[in-house]
Amino acid sequence: MALTKVRYLFATAFKLYQPMVTQCEKIHTSCRNQASNNDDHPTHWMEYNQKIYPPQTPDEVPRLAYVCHQRTNIKYSPLKMWYVASFIRGMSVDEAIKQLKFVLKKGAKDVREVLEEAKEMAVKEHNVEFPSNMWVAESFVGKGRVIKGIRRHGRARFGRVEYKHCHYYVRLEEGAPPKHYYSPFPQQPHEQLEDWLAAMRRRKITNSL
Amino acid sequence: MSLRITSKLGLTLLQEMPQGFLAPVVNQVNHQIVRHRRTKHWDPKWKLFRRMKVVKVDLPKFNEKVENLTDEQIRIRLKEQGILPPRPWVERQFFIHSTGGIFEPYVPPEGDGKVSPVSKQGAMQSLQFLEKKSRTMMAIRKIRQYEEDFDSPEFCKEATKLYIKMHELLSARDKDNLIDVVTERAYPEVLHNVENKTIRWKYIKDIELPRIVQARCTDVISRENIFGQVTVRFHTQQTLAIYDRFGRLLHGSEIVAKDVLEYVVFEKHMANEYGTWRIHAKIIPDWLPPREPSALTFKRKIETTVAEPEKAVVETASTENVSTPNSERVNTA
Repeated sequence: MALTKVRYLFATAFKLYQPMVTQCEKIHTSCRNQASNNDDHPTHWMEYNQKIYPPQTPDEVPRLAYVCHQRTNIKYSPLKMWYVASFIRGMSVDEAIKQLKFVLKKGAKDVREVLEEAKEMAVKEHNVEFPSNMWVAESFVGKGRVIKGIRRHGRARFGRVEYKHCHYYVRLEEGAPPKHYYSPFPQQPHEQLEDWLAAMRRRKITNSL
Repeated sequence: MSLRITSKLGLTLLQEMPQGFLAPVVNQVNHQIVRHRRTKHWDPKWKLFRRMKVVKVDLPKFNEKVENLTDEQIRIRLKEQGILPPRPWVERQFFIHSTGGIFEPYVPPEGDGKVSPVSKQGAMQSLQFLEKKSRTMMAIRKIRQYEEDFDSPEFCKEATKLYIKMHELLSARDKDNLIDVVTERAYPEVLHNVENKTIRWKYIKDIELPRIVQARCTDVISRENIFGQVTVRFHTQQTLAIYDRFGRLLHGSEIVAKDVLEYVVFEKHMANEYGTWRIHAKIIPDWLPPREPSALTFKRKIETTVAEPEKAVVETASTENVSTPNSERVNTA
């Protein structure tokens, strides 16, 4: 009971009384090493959510909203997570969530949760009216913390075990997903014909006029 | 003996079958292909040694949320690491520079004082108005004790400047300077829900000159420690447009000017030599017509209130009776 109270107080103490906190922030009371403790996860990706674009005039096409979200230090290999991350690229969110339910990889669960969180964020914070009307514009993996362990070998030797973690990043964009996510797009038959004709006409016939 | 038999049996099972042995059957039966590992020794006595090769590492749980842990789990963690629990935060902040509310908030007359004084309601209103006006005069006299050159029209000019400056600072999102114009009580209210938004606010003109409608003084803790609050009526023309993070219009317009009637409370710590007039609150009357709804649609949250039946009360009562000896035991231990 006492502990919950303590936690509650800690949580509320920083939310309330903002002006006092802002004043306190200007005074440096600790050494530089303690000044920032965000060294165990990247923060840059989430800063894109802070970017504010200039207002548009009524005759302009409304800018499409986007949300960036991440989950850091997932206990899963980044090499394995890559398959899950690139699998959902260019899908609509709902489709991605549905598909991920059938992916038998440990990382799929985390990715799905991140997508669901991002959807919720979009509605709550970024003025997106219909969260289903979004698609996975970017989805990639970063290498997280690697913790080294030891493995005994014969003849008094040892090997190294790497316990890998990964970061997962996603960006959802408003609108319908594009038909082809990766470029170059597959060519249509008439385009192929044009290319072939051009190539035929380009070739040089030796000893001709 | 039995171990040897089982191990031999295991060995035979592990031996490779000639391919195509059960081929016709496999095609018929719903059969899942299992890949057997053949890199381990068949004898389980080596299992322990294989395990001992790897030195166990306690991996940190990066994604664990401290909020979700129970008290008991936190206690165990702290004990494991030999750390004392954090001291409770028993301090409470007080701002002696501003009060926490409006004393005797001004009640704007319905229809902004346009009720006929001949009617019963109008007569009542004018009576109350007189009563309140005398108290306002007294309060202004008290303010003059501390601020000798307090003059109502002069103050109204100053109030207008403050009013405009507050809105400009807000649209510039200048949090550091906003606190000079706004009291600590109003600060979170002013900054509520403006994050990630662009605000374009413009003051055009006064429709009516601003005027003081009410003034009050109160002493806090000691008799000399006096706070003054003055309510000013602003009737102005403004434009307001709010854009979201992507520059899309959320509310209002930059072109259409609107008439705005506002009752703003200003506050000053009179006893403080360096006190200044700051915006303290805005009075929102009950008779205010409902706001126009926003253009966005939302999913309605379905509120499910689980009504606790009376049985539950009985159960808890009975468990209490049972738990008393236990709790006694804990206390004695």
